[in-house]
Amino acid sequence: MSARIGCRDLRVSARGQEMLHVEQLDVTAGATLAVLGPNGAGKSTLLRALAQIGGHLRTGQVLLDGQPAGHREMRAAVAAVLQRPILRRGTVAANAASGLRLRGVGRAEAARRSAPWLAKLGVGHLAGRDARTLSGGEAQRVALARALAVTPRVLLLDEPFAGLDATTRTDLLADLRAVLDNLDTATVLVTHDRHEAHALAEETALLVDGRIRQHGATSQVLDHPVDTECARLVGYTNLLPPALTGQPDLLVARPERCHPLPNGTIPPPDSITVRGTVRRVVPLGGGTRVDLDPEPAGNTLACLIPADSELKTRPGHPATITIATADLRPVAARSEDRIAIRVPLPDPLA
Amino acid sequence: MDVLLDGLVAAVRLLLSGDADTWAITALTLRVSLTATCIAVIIGVPLAAAVALTRFPGRRVVLAAANTGLGLPPVVVGLFITVLLWRSGPLGAFGLLYTPTAMIIAQAVIGTPIVVALAAAALRQVDPDFLVQMQGLGATRARALMALIGEARLPLLAAAMAAFGAVVSEVGAAQMVGGNLAGDTRVLTTAAVLATSRGEFALAIAFGLILLFIAFAVNLVLTLAQHREPVRR
Repeated sequence: MSARIGCRDLRVSARGQEMLHVEQLDVTAGATLAVLGPNGAGKSTLLRALAQIGGHLRTGQVLLDGQPAGHREMRAAVAAVLQRPILRRGTVAANAASGLRLRGVGRAEAARRSAPWLAKLGVGHLAGRDARTLSGGEAQRVALARALAVTPRVLLLDEPFAGLDATTRTDLLADLRAVLDNLDTATVLVTHDRHEAHALAEETALLVDGRIRQHGATSQVLDHPVDTECARLVGYTNLLPPALTGQPDLLVARPERCHPLPNGTIPPPDSITVRGTVRRVVPLGGGTRVDLDPEPAGNTLACLIPADSELKTRPGHPATITIATADLRPVAARSEDRIAIRVPLPDPLA
Repeated sequence: MDVLLDGLVAAVRLLLSGDADTWAITALTLRVSLTATCIAVIIGVPLAAAVALTRFPGRRVVLAAANTGLGLPPVVVGLFITVLLWRSGPLGAFGLLYTPTAMIIAQAVIGTPIVVALAAAALRQVDPDFLVQMQGLGATRARALMALIGEARLPLLAAAMAAFGAVVSEVGAAQMVGGNLAGDTRVLTTAAVLATSRGEFALAIAFGLILLFIAFAVNLVLTLAQHREPVRR
């Protein structure tokens, strides 16, 4: 079965510079692909290139049901939701119907077809409200209802949860997941938040500097990064070079899996320990972040410990952290990381 | 003060009596200024859209020129249009000088920069991703542009009204390119100037009252349009 949407050798350039090059990407009907990347990685550019909207120069192919698709085919197949819910003047109901209206559907028919989507996204009771009076979360729900009302074959979501508070975001994620589970739509979600990828997508691609660095099942990609940049994207932000661990590979670990050891405590079996000096201790409400400068050298390591932890430490104090070997992942080092984690040579004059 | 009061009373009487010349002048004024405004909108809105929504070399120069045009002296416009349309001028062969067409051209030149400057500002108020979002919902580029214009319709209407207000009240260009020929190119402003110079204050005030009424009607239309928008709750 061919993918609902895909691309081959898709390149986007602006001012003579290549901003994006994706050799191959496929999303089947009913599936969701998350494209995870840092700011400026080219996530929105990829989405717009797939939809064939926006002014950048594109080469390569966008495929719809396995066939090369042009503007017209993509316009008919795609609905996009952008980071900011761009609603029009008028009521919520008129906004929900506006996608259909833009496709030439009559006013009454558009209203009839869009009303159920407002209800499915929990904003049916706001139908008569002026769209300009909505909260950010309500407006994004209306924007999603507007896109889903056109029954798109491909749904493109450009960080639709950015800028929402945590509770609103969680509720909206749950509602959207429930809606997408019952649709035959191929969905591409671009985000910089791995939790959104985890909640919505069966597959995840990591986009760095306009290239897909890793692509696979979401659980695999989020838990087994291939290199340091991918590791940083999926939350493995602590880099542990061989000089620190005695292991042959560069290892990475999540801060919440790094545990400072109280003085005199014996490290648990099947773990590695790293000694260093506490750089800072930052209370974060639900927990405390302890940053450690490892010895002899290396990038600062961050540990997240529960707020009720009895561990007492202060900047400048020596400390030891332990990480279970099951929580460590080997990764390939990027060139810049090799510089960052370089162990300084001994001073010949010392 | 008596002169003013007497003038007002006489003006009202003149208007109510249905003086044919007065109404002919009013009709010509509306025809010339409304046509000029329509031309200014037809030229100005696409230019404003280009300035506001696209990047091209000289974009800022066009915008700066339009902003300068907000204060374009009608006399200067009248002078250049007169030179262009003068019998020995580049466009003299068309024989347009001292015709309503010449007045429409001059007033369109005055109105276009006003429309460009105000419409560009209006279109830039709309979210920069509006067109992308509309296309992302299935709109063609033309339909997305129409949606954008619909979204900014009130400030665009205000831009058109501002242009109309400017051209209907200008006197310099109308006088220079129209010549204030009775029954042919005489409009309210030039007629008011002539009546004042002759000491016919009642007639001048009557023309002034009509101009004021037109200005009021324009603003009434704008206000009513604004109040047709849904009330925020």
